[in-house]
Amino acid sequence: MPARDKRHKDVIKKIKLMMSEISRNVLADKTLPVLDITKVGYDNTIWSEEKRMLTIGPKTVQVSPENTKKIPTFSQYIVMANAVRKLLDEEMESTIRGMYYATLSTIGDEKNKQKFWNTQDNSDDAIKAIELITGVPREEFAVTSKPKGMISGPITLRVGGDLIDCNLGSRATSQLVPTNIRDLEIVSVKADFVMVVEKDTVLNNIRKSGFIQKYNAILMTGSGEPDRATRMMVKTLNQEWKKPVVIFADADPWGLGIALRYKIGSESLSYDSERLVTPDAKVLGMMFSDIYDYNIPEVARLTASDEDLNRATDMKRKPWLRDRQWQKELNLFIQRREKCELDAFFKHGFRYLAETYLPRKLRESGVI
Amino acid sequence: MQARTIPHNGKVRYDRKAESEFFVDNSALAGFTGERILYMAVRELIENALDSCEVNHILPKVSLSLRIHDPLNDMWMITCEDNGVGIPADKVPVAVCSFLTSGKYVERQQRGLFGVGLKMIAAFSTKDTDHPLKVWTRTIDEPDEFYFELRTDIGTNKPIVLSRSANKEYSINSKSGFKIEAMLRARLSPITKNKIYDYVSQTSIVNPYAVIIFTTDEGSVSFERRTSNMPDPSSEVLPHPSEMDLKTLKRAILNFTNQKTTIHGILCNSFQKMSSEKAKEILSRAEVELKVATKYDEHELIKIVNACRQTKFQSPNTDHLSPIGEHILTAGMMEEYSIVSRKDNASHSEVSNSQISVKVLKPVLTAYSSKTCIINNRATVVECGIAYGGNINSFRLYRFANKIPLLYDEGSDVAREVVSEVEINKMGITKKDVREQFFNPEVKSDRAIELLPIHIFFHICSTKIPYKTAGKESIASEGSLKKYMRSCLTDLYKRVSAQIRKEIRIKEAENRLRLYKHYIPLIVDAISESINIDAKKLTEAFTSLVETQVGEINVVPVHSPHRIKDNTVPTAELYKSKAKKSLNRMSLTDTRISKIKARKTGGMKKN
Repeated sequence: MPARDKRHKDVIKKIKLMMSEISRNVLADKTLPVLDITKVGYDNTIWSEEKRMLTIGPKTVQVSPENTKKIPTFSQYIVMANAVRKLLDEEMESTIRGMYYATLSTIGDEKNKQKFWNTQDNSDDAIKAIELITGVPREEFAVTSKPKGMISGPITLRVGGDLIDCNLGSRATSQLVPTNIRDLEIVSVKADFVMVVEKDTVLNNIRKSGFIQKYNAILMTGSGEPDRATRMMVKTLNQEWKKPVVIFADADPWGLGIALRYKIGSESLSYDSERLVTPDAKVLGMMFSDIYDYNIPEVARLTASDEDLNRATDMKRKPWLRDRQWQKELNLFIQRREKCELDAFFKHGFRYLAETYLPRKLRESGVI
Repeated sequence: MQARTIPHNGKVRYDRKAESEFFVDNSALAGFTGERILYMAVRELIENALDSCEVNHILPKVSLSLRIHDPLNDMWMITCEDNGVGIPADKVPVAVCSFLTSGKYVERQQRGLFGVGLKMIAAFSTKDTDHPLKVWTRTIDEPDEFYFELRTDIGTNKPIVLSRSANKEYSINSKSGFKIEAMLRARLSPITKNKIYDYVSQTSIVNPYAVIIFTTDEGSVSFERRTSNMPDPSSEVLPHPSEMDLKTLKRAILNFTNQKTTIHGILCNSFQKMSSEKAKEILSRAEVELKVATKYDEHELIKIVNACRQTKFQSPNTDHLSPIGEHILTAGMMEEYSIVSRKDNASHSEVSNSQISVKVLKPVLTAYSSKTCIINNRATVVECGIAYGGNINSFRLYRFANKIPLLYDEGSDVAREVVSEVEINKMGITKKDVREQFFNPEVKSDRAIELLPIHIFFHICSTKIPYKTAGKESIASEGSLKKYMRSCLTDLYKRVSAQIRKEIRIKEAENRLRLYKHYIPLIVDAISESINIDAKKLTEAFTSLVETQVGEINVVPVHSPHRIKDNTVPTAELYKSKAKKSLNRMSLTDTRISKIKARKTGGMKKN
């Protein structure tokens, strides 16, 4: 069954082109093929001062069956390319986990048996490689992940043909951010600004307090590490709908890291930063100084681990945290060795976070 | 109750037993127990033969034969001929028959020590058979070869000479030598037979300069000489004064009875590391008056002994020992001879009807290490060798003491402990590597070292080896002996590590290469499902490309000094493919990452 979608056809064409190249190398040129693929990871990630985000560097990796160590990777990429081609031909969509199962097998004989994929991470990497080879993000070839981002507030989406109003009057629930972004459109946005929080528990608390209605805000969370769809939604709201974006995460290096995913991007997805990163987003909290400024009781503070401290020391050297305020915050953390979750504000009362802390922070930065 | 254990007249009888009778009754003391009689006989004869050659630096040639004479009565004929110095004719009867008569009662490194072995053979022959012991001897000092027929008077420890003749017609084929023929009654189990074969084989490893011809009812084998270098013979050494006791001192005085030597002179001349000053110091510390040496009573002598024990001396001499040496042990390890029995009976038609033959193991590399140390105030040399790989295909530990193979009681030997204690990670490899790459279902041990195709050799030489038992089969962990052995083995592990690591890498590469072939069908399937292509042709082309081009770039051959044959490494051809391959960089320029960047952020269209 041939794919009808034009972009899908493009992807299929590119995959077939790659297959033909390989066959021509082997059959006609009598040489082993080499895939020249952009390297992904920290050592090929470059901070762009101009774009204010992490961008991909010039390094590439050569994947070739030239030796026995690289053959598994090479085969994985080819097998995954074929699986993507099949998926598009059949006009189906799949999660990354689905692709892992679709290509699962074992290799070798009784004596030397090994798994084709050691873990799903390998198959995720192969999907990334197909993105890099075809130059098309996986959402475009119908491979998605399980939705985990949440959105609540005066915004209307259209998913496929269905309209979804996220301004759920009952304050009782949020809408999942769909991951099949090809089928997703933003119909209208009535909010004044977008507030991203680290965790869904915190989002639920804020939503329940009536924050959305009071401040005309959109509330979003990536439920921890944000998926691509959530990051993309944040970016679109900021750049295309011109809504200010503010971010609140826990006062620890881990939380700050998550906040920075939205603002500057990540090393593992730096090749896709243009599509995912919102450089104008403001990280407003929770600051390490807030622990003391807002008198979080000692019992609600956590002791920093060595890993936290190493991470903070590392962060201090990053160009995107070079300004004086962040240096001060990180120094404070390294000195006091204490961290804190947003949830700690509940110690001051269940409405404190939504009705005292957040409004004050927003006012200080001029968002409201 | 008491009456029963005491003879009827109420008095205990005190008898004197001749040495010969004592040893025949307590033959286990000398290792001559039922099963092991023939093994011990072979052993004693070979040891005597080699000692007799080495004492005069003669390249040994030993012919030994062990054949059944009367199967019904378990009668065995054992003969041994060497080209050593021989025994002077007048000494032959006592040297062969009288227990505790030996040319070996000196402080010197020798194989034999007790002067018991040959006498045991004579006594057992006398005890169990009516055959006389036949002996031929030839020395360079006497023009004639002498022939004796002897038996032992077990009750008196005296030889009985049945016949003695001097002959101009030589039975011994060399300028000097000794030949003996004895009849023994003994059973030979297959286990003991293998021990005898092992004994002869292992003797040839540490004596590669000896020719050993061994004949049995199963055929004849000959161990060739692999080097004409011989270790320098050991020399006699004076006892070290820190070992002095009353007996040693009295004997020293006795040696000078007829001379007017002072006690000072006797000390200086009878002990090593005893300077004139030291002797004076000892005598003044002992507070004994100076007089003729023989006039001292035991009370005075013990004072001297005590003073001696309180004095510090330099470490004992070491140059009197005769280690095997790197050259000779390496020669033995490089061509490791062993006797193998042919198992198939189908090959009767072959020209040779010998059922035994010599198998030669040639390792890929050998290494040698030695340490000289002082154990119990005696100089001791520890030598260790490793032979690795080649057609060695399993682990084995060889133990030698004063060039004698030790075959029994391995479990309680210090060498065994040392092998267990030195960690294999000294080779820079992990147990996991070894278990994965040298997996051998026949090896029961869970020690990683025993999975490697490696032979470890330990040789201890000393004027007094710390044997655990009189049977001389295992060595005790005395003093810091173990420490020195461990250090030798660690040193060797480090030196063979490069080769072993290389082989592990090659084995890993082989496994991966085998796996590689399983990936081709996956690739070809994926391609032929996507595009229209002849899958069979693609598979063939891919496979042939892989066979010619795929290699392990990171495997580099390691130089080792004793490498004999490179091609014993099965995947030597892997190296060849290191030749620069012309890799075709696929240029998917139109599908580069820049495209991702250039794309409009799709999907999230502004309505």
